[in-house]
Amino acid sequence: MIVGNMEKRGGTQMAELKEKVQLRKADSPTRKSFSERMVEYGEIDKEFVVFESDIGYSTYSYLFGDKYPDRYFNMGIAELGTMAAAAGMAADGRTVIVSGYGVFLTMRAVEVVRSFICYPHLNVKILSSHGGLTAAIDGVTHQATEDIAYMSTLPDMKVLAPCDTYAAKAAFDIAVQTPGPVFTRLMRDPLWDIYTEKDTFRLGGSKVLRRGEHITLVSYGDIVFQALEAADLLAKDGIEAEVIDMYSVKPFDGETLLDSARRTKAVLVAENHQKRNGLGYEIGTFLLKNYPWGKMGSKPLKFDHLGLEDTFGESGNYFKVIDKYGISGRAIAEAARRLLSSSDR
Amino acid sequence: MEGVGMETTVRTDPGLDERVAFLKKQAQQVRLHIVKMIHKAQSGHPGGSLSAADIMTALYFDILNVDPKNPRWPDRDRFVLSKGHACPVWYVCLALKGFFPVEELDTLRQFESRLQGHPVSTKTPGVDATTGSLGIGFAQAIGMALEGKWLKKSYKVYALLGDGEMQEGVVWEAAASANKYKLDNLVAIIDNNNLQNDGYTDRIMPIEPLDKKFEAFGWTTRRIDGHNMEQVLSALREAKAHQGTPFCIIAQTVKGKGVSFMENVRGWHGKPPSDQELAQAIKEIEGGLK
Repeated sequence: MIVGNMEKRGGTQMAELKEKVQLRKADSPTRKSFSERMVEYGEIDKEFVVFESDIGYSTYSYLFGDKYPDRYFNMGIAELGTMAAAAGMAADGRTVIVSGYGVFLTMRAVEVVRSFICYPHLNVKILSSHGGLTAAIDGVTHQATEDIAYMSTLPDMKVLAPCDTYAAKAAFDIAVQTPGPVFTRLMRDPLWDIYTEKDTFRLGGSKVLRRGEHITLVSYGDIVFQALEAADLLAKDGIEAEVIDMYSVKPFDGETLLDSARRTKAVLVAENHQKRNGLGYEIGTFLLKNYPWGKMGSKPLKFDHLGLEDTFGESGNYFKVIDKYGISGRAIAEAARRLLSSSDR
Repeated sequence: MEGVGMETTVRTDPGLDERVAFLKKQAQQVRLHIVKMIHKAQSGHPGGSLSAADIMTALYFDILNVDPKNPRWPDRDRFVLSKGHACPVWYVCLALKGFFPVEELDTLRQFESRLQGHPVSTKTPGVDATTGSLGIGFAQAIGMALEGKWLKKSYKVYALLGDGEMQEGVVWEAAASANKYKLDNLVAIIDNNNLQNDGYTDRIMPIEPLDKKFEAFGWTTRRIDGHNMEQVLSALREAKAHQGTPFCIIAQTVKGKGVSFMENVRGWHGKPPSDQELAQAIKEIEGGLK
């Protein structure tokens, strides 16, 4: 396994990582990429099955159902019963994918996920679409802005949040190859691609997408692109931001984070999620415990966290909504400047 | 769907009387262990355990094709205790069947025991599914039955539910999916004792007529006296052989059955007997053994 292949590239490649990351328009949303990989994988592994609760044409799980009708169970609009039936199918060790919208799978069915999937350590893999405000246009009832908190809190649950086509396909592989329950947060709409087929991903891994000396920007999923935009904006002011894609949210790559924090002495986490109990809370606690306070010279670590401030989202254009709620590239750059210009005490 | 009232199938099985006599005795043994272990733990649910004792005895000592030496044998019949709080009756049946030593029943609900307050699949041999949240066990049984159908296995999945549990919405999600997938390898048994934590089920939130509801969902139903071993055995054997639809047995039972002062008394849902009450209970159950 290769940890964030940037580390592997070594010194001569460092300059390259200071340049702007090329964003390529994505053909499909991550929910579709994940499902496409599920179809491919269905050929390799004939033992796993898929449970859907009537949004197969939205999550694209129908692609699997079309190819393997006897391994595809559409349980109707009944997320609770679907999740529990998946647990029953997984009782003797079988891998079961449950596909649906984040809000319903992680909140309506959370108790089943907790007590009857995580507790018995079953191989249930949750394909969760409409993560965060990526479902902006659909309004609050369809925006899973607490999913990471719910899922991360459950013992035994692993949490992935890929940002592009290639990361989403890799997330499927990680999910089915990791024993026990795995939750994967996916997006409603296509955004960009930054990775290629050559990039490798692992549970507990991260990707350093850009090197910088002044501040570490940490994000996952769709906000990775906003962090990259923020880094571009900051570069115009001479601020070099290091950008980390923390695609494995639980467990997360504390080592890479700490290495970066030691150099930049400033960490800003931005996520499309409630601030409370999001990745930023985890990282804040982690840094409090692990950052070598007082041993690194005079500068203490600066830290800030962007996300939903104890509020719900709303309907509207995705880019307008994330900007309003403070997690756009512009907002991240602004927060970074604010953090860096704040006095040490 | 035919689903008739108190009718039972008349069978000409020469060994049946003997079998029924054995199971009746065994059920009293099961009851004896239930009250003893709950008394020992000073915690647990006697009422719903005793009401299910005859059904559980018939399942474990006549119907289920399970192997105590190989609890996860892939071709075994599955059993799910959807009314998970009644696990004392299940633990007793598993112990008497040989899944673990009978002495272990004394560890119910104790620190580091394999016999948790509600059933846990990863701890107790013979427990196929973790349960305890009402309605969810039944929905898990759907997944088990779907797997059996998909793999063309001949095993059946049996789920025991409480009548109060039928108030959970997920029960009806599960009932609908059993119809869609024609899960004739699924048998639901409702321990219909008309008593739940806070009072009589038909006053807290009426759920009858259960037979009509399940028939409307495409199930075949039988309503029986859940303490008449001949009826219990006949219905379970019919369910085991049944094909074409999922099968639901509505067993009319009495909560706390077998211990006079517990029978049909709300307070005995989740309360352990005192020393004196235990002595009285043992006397009554042993009386029934003779």
